[in-house]
Amino acid sequence: MATSLSSNLITKQVSIAPLAVFRIAFGMLLFASTLRFILKGWVDQMYVAPKVVFPYYGFEWVSPLPAGGMYAVFFIMLASTILIAAGFLYRYASIIFFLLFTYVELIDKTNYLNHYYFVSIVSFLLIFLPAHRYFSVDAKLRPSLVRTHVPAYMVWTIKLQLLLVYFFAGIAKINSEWLLEAMPLKLWLPAFNHFPIIGPLLEQEWVAYVFVWFGCVYDLFIGLLLINRRTIKVGYLLVVIFHGLTAMFFNIGMFPYIMIALTVIFFTDSFHERIINTLRNFLPGKSPQQHGLREHTVKPVLNRLLIGLLSLHFIIQVVMPFRYLLYPGDLFWTEQGYRWSWRVMLMEKAGTAFFYVRDAKTGRETEIMNSMYLTPMQEKMIATQPDMMVDYAHFLREEYTKLGFLNPSVRTECYVTLNGRGSTLIVDPATDLSAQTNNPFTNKHWILPYAQK
Amino acid sequence: MTKRMKKYRILLTATSIVVIISAIVFTGCKKDDNLPDDPADTFDRSALLTNYADSVIIPNFTLLDSKVDTLSIRTAAFNSSPDITGLYALRSAFLDAYKAYQSVCAFEFGPSETETFRTNCNTFPTDTAQIQVNISNGTYNLFLASNLDAKGFPAIDYLLYGRNTSDAAIVSYFSSANRKTYLSDLVLHLATHTQNVLTAWTSGYRATFIASNGNSIGSSLGYVVNQLNYDLEMIKNARIGIPLGKLSLNVPLPEKCEGYYANQSVWLASATLNNIENFYLGRSANGTNGPGLDNYLDHLGAQYQSGSLNSAIQQRFLDAKTKLQAIPDPLSTQVISNPAVVDSAYVAVKRLLILLKTDMPSNLGIVITYQDTDGD
Repeated sequence: MATSLSSNLITKQVSIAPLAVFRIAFGMLLFASTLRFILKGWVDQMYVAPKVVFPYYGFEWVSPLPAGGMYAVFFIMLASTILIAAGFLYRYASIIFFLLFTYVELIDKTNYLNHYYFVSIVSFLLIFLPAHRYFSVDAKLRPSLVRTHVPAYMVWTIKLQLLLVYFFAGIAKINSEWLLEAMPLKLWLPAFNHFPIIGPLLEQEWVAYVFVWFGCVYDLFIGLLLINRRTIKVGYLLVVIFHGLTAMFFNIGMFPYIMIALTVIFFTDSFHERIINTLRNFLPGKSPQQHGLREHTVKPVLNRLLIGLLSLHFIIQVVMPFRYLLYPGDLFWTEQGYRWSWRVMLMEKAGTAFFYVRDAKTGRETEIMNSMYLTPMQEKMIATQPDMMVDYAHFLREEYTKLGFLNPSVRTECYVTLNGRGSTLIVDPATDLSAQTNNPFTNKHWILPYAQK
Repeated sequence: MTKRMKKYRILLTATSIVVIISAIVFTGCKKDDNLPDDPADTFDRSALLTNYADSVIIPNFTLLDSKVDTLSIRTAAFNSSPDITGLYALRSAFLDAYKAYQSVCAFEFGPSETETFRTNCNTFPTDTAQIQVNISNGTYNLFLASNLDAKGFPAIDYLLYGRNTSDAAIVSYFSSANRKTYLSDLVLHLATHTQNVLTAWTSGYRATFIASNGNSIGSSLGYVVNQLNYDLEMIKNARIGIPLGKLSLNVPLPEKCEGYYANQSVWLASATLNNIENFYLGRSANGTNGPGLDNYLDHLGAQYQSGSLNSAIQQRFLDAKTKLQAIPDPLSTQVISNPAVVDSAYVAVKRLLILLKTDMPSNLGIVITYQDTDGD
C-alpha cells in the first residue's frame, strides 16, 4: 500500500502532457499579466516614482533600478514568458523569469500580494521540471530532448503546490471573525448593491454568511474533488464559479483567471493529450510527431537531490503559515507572521498614521507630511502594517539627520480599524520606532493589544 | 473501484450538505443584525450622487461663478478710476468670491481635476516677488506652472491688501497700468477656470458622475470620499498646521496663512470646514438636507465605540467647528500669541480626519482611489 502510493506519486512514469499544457498556460497568462502591468503604468507608479522603498527584512540590499532599467526588466520578463510558453530556451527563460519576477517583488513590500508570491513559487518550481520536453520549440529543434513520460512526482509538484494554496487559504478562514461574524464580507458585499438582480440580496446579512461558509468549505475541500478522477469535473466547475465570483467582487486582477487556467492540471493525462492535439491543429506543418514511449529518467544522484530540494520547499510551505503562533497578540492586528501564508481577502483593515520626528537638541517635534515621501499606496500600507512603520521610521531618521536634526527619534500616532471595529491606536505613540527592528525573531512589544469586541 | 467511487460521492454529498445547512442556519439566526431585512430597502447610491450633483456641487459652482462675476465687474470699475470706495467694494466682492471658493474646493474630481482647479485658484502662500516681476515686465503667461503661485485668490489677496500698507497707498499703486492689467488678468483667469468647470458639470459630467455609482476604483463615491479627506487634510496642514509650525519644529510661519493679507484665515478655513460638513450630510448651501454619507453610514449600521459612527463623526464636526471658530482672526498673529487655542483646533480637525479617513471608508466598503492596483 505504502509502496504503491509512493510509486504512484513519485516514481511511476506518467504522461508529460499535463506539464506541457501547464507550461503553455503559465507562460501565456504571465505574458498577459506582465503586459497589463506595463500598460497600466504600474512599472512607473510602483518602481520608478517612489522616493522610498520598503524591502523585506534581510533583503535590504535589493533596490529598484533607474526607470530605463526597470522597464528593461519588465520587457525581458515579457520576452521570457513567451519563451516559456513556446518552450524555447526554456531553462534559461524560466530561470530569468523567476529571478526577475522575484527581484521585482522583493523591492517593496508595499506591493506584496499572495498571487505574486504564488507566481514566484511556481516559476521557481518550473525551473526544475522538464516541461519543455514535449510539444515545444526546444523539442522540435532537438528531438533528442523529447520525452513522453516523466516521473509522477514532477507533475505532483505542481499539483501539491496548488493544493497547499487552497488548503491554507481554507485554514486561514477558520477563525471566529470570518465564520461567526461574516467579516469582512459583511462590510464588503453591501457596497455591491448596484449589481443587477443579486444586488439587493448582497445587503442581506445571511448572504454574507453563505459566502464566508462557502468560501471556507470550498478552500478546505476543493483539493479532494480535484485529485479524484470522478469528481474533477464537479471540482473544476466549483473552481470556475468560485474564482468567477471573486473576480466579480474583488479588485484582484489576473489572479482568478490564473487559478482557473492552472487547475486544469488536475484533469487526466488523456485530456491534456487532447488539448495538445487541438493546439497542434492550429500550428503550421501539422505533422504529428511520432515518438515511441520515451521516459524521462534523471541520474539517481540528481533525482535524489531534486526530490530533496522539493521536499525542503514543501516543508517550508507547510511551516510558514503557522509561524504566527510563535508571536503573541492577534495575528490580524500585529501582522506578525501574516505574509506568505495564503491569507487572502481575509480582513478589512484601514488606518491613518501621523508621524513625528523629534530633534534631541531642542526637544521639539515636527510632523511629517507623509505624501512628501510616500506614494498614496505606500501611505495606505504603512498605516496598517507595523513592520512598515519601522522601515519608514528608519528612513525618516536618516533623512532628518541629513537635515541637521540631532539624534532624531520617530514616533507615530496611528489609528487603525479592523473589520469594522472603531479605530484605535495600534502602536504605542511614545515608542521611538526608529530604534526598533523588524528582526522576525523579536516580538514587536510596542504594538498595543487588539481591543476585542 | 465502486467502493472508492462511493466514498467520494459521500464526500461530495457531505460537502454540499455542509454548505446548504450553514446557509439555512445563518438565515435563521439573524436576529441581531443591523442590516435591513427588506431587499427593497437597499441604499440608493444614485440618489445620493444625484443629491450631491444637483443640490451641492452644481449650485456651489454656480454661486462661485456669480461671485466671480461680481468680482470682475468691480475690478473693471476700480481699474477705470481707482479710489478708496472702489477698493472697499472690490475687497468685499473678493472676500465673497474667496468664501464661495471654499465651498467647491473639496470637489477636485472630474472637471475640477481636469482643470487642476485647486492649484490654479488657491496656491498659497503666494509668491509676491514673482508677482512684482510679472507686473513690472508686463508680460507673463498665467497658464505656466511657474506662475501658479503668482495667480488665483492668494495673488489677488496680496494686490488688494498688501502688508503694512495703507489703503491709500494700495489705491495709489493702481495708478500703474501694468498692475491694473495684472489684476484684471488674475480675475479673468479665475472666471475662466470656474466657467470651464461649471460648464463641464452641466453639460455632461453630471450624468457621468451619477452613473458611476459603483464601489470600485474610479467610482464617484470613491472620488467624493477621497477628496473630502484631502480637503480636510488641507485644513489640518496647509490652513492651520503649517502656520502653527507643526511642520517646522513648532516655529510658527504666519506668512503661510491662507488669506494672509486680508487677515481672514480662520474665516476662510471655517467656510471650508462647513462645506465639508454640508457635503458629508448631503446638505445644500441653503440648508436643505438630502441623502448624504451620514444616511449611508446609518443605513449600514456602522459603529464606533458604543454608538453609531455617524453620530461620532457629527460630534467631531461640531467640536472642530467650535474650536476653529474660537480662534480670533488674524490667524497670523494668533499662531504666535495664542498657539494653544490654535493647537486645540488643530487637534479637533485631526480627530475628525481620523474617523472620516479611516472608519468611514472601511465601513462603506468602497475602494478609495488611492492608486489603481490589484488587491489580494
